[in-house]
Amino acid sequence: MTSVTIIGHDVRTVEATVGAGHVLLDPEQLPAALGWELKPEGLCRDDVCVPVRERSSLFVDDRLDVARVAEALRRPVVIDADARLVSIALPTEQRRQAIDALVAPAVELADLDGTRHSLDEWRGKKKLLVAFASW
Amino acid sequence: MALDDSADDVRPWTEGITYPVLVDPQHVLTEQYAITNVPTVIWIDEDDRIVRPNGVAFSNDMFKEFTGDESGPHLELVREWVHTGAVPMSPDEAREAVDDLDDDAVLARLHFRLAAHARRAGDDATARAHFARAAELAPHDFTIRRAQLPLTGGDPFGQEFFGFYSEWQEAGRPYNGLGSVRSES
Repeated sequence: MTSVTIIGHDVRTVEATVGAGHVLLDPEQLPAALGWELKPEGLCRDDVCVPVRERSSLFVDDRLDVARVAEALRRPVVIDADARLVSIALPTEQRRQAIDALVAPAVELADLDGTRHSLDEWRGKKKLLVAFASW
Repeated sequence: MALDDSADDVRPWTEGITYPVLVDPQHVLTEQYAITNVPTVIWIDEDDRIVRPNGVAFSNDMFKEFTGDESGPHLELVREWVHTGAVPMSPDEAREAVDDLDDDAVLARLHFRLAAHARRAGDDATARAHFARAAELAPHDFTIRRAQLPLTGGDPFGQEFFGFYSEWQEAGRPYNGLGSVRSES
């Protein structure tokens, strides 16, 4: 077992087994790793479940393969097993729907003092979102 | 919202600014809003609906000589929106203006995110490999190509940048969104 860092919109560290390009998790670790858990009805978060047709396809022996779980969730993923790093996107459909529906996703980010804010804090006001950078 | 690695990188640019400034080291915005360059401005109404999507717009004319973009006409439209609620386009036009990311653009963002994290953790070899892969996957995306220059020892205003800039020009200056607002004349 080794520590693997999962970088999504936040950064999480979980214990995992790593080998031959794969990151394998104890099913108990899945909620800590990706925010979803494996239930009889599929991969679930809150009251949403994504059905999994072939449950065994997610497993290598008794451990979950992160790449296959990400695929089942339709979340693009990049895995660097040697570096112990996983980088994971939102579900493709979730991103696409927000863009097509002109809904402003409630991104949550820290301000310069480290305090986190979610865009929906300013609901009820007009907002100009300015993406800028020092580069 | 700054597409920068840390609050320290952003602070020098925020003196005197009274509105909230957030830092986005994971480039969450470039994924969720399909942003490919800065500055990109998005108008979001009281109900959190996008009424004018990704658009090139500057707050002043500092870069006018270089980009040819004037700040005034866009700011005029913003004032009108604030005062009267008038939006310069229909929802269909807004929807037309921005494309969802393609698969390679999403993967490029993931490689960038992984590289930036590896660099912060001191693993420069991993960082370099994934920054390079990100650049291959999204060769004309400023949030991938230019954003990595200060993180890989390059100069965002130097030789490497101008090399990338000519590639981008040859590709037809791709930008995912609305061009800058021109004055009516």
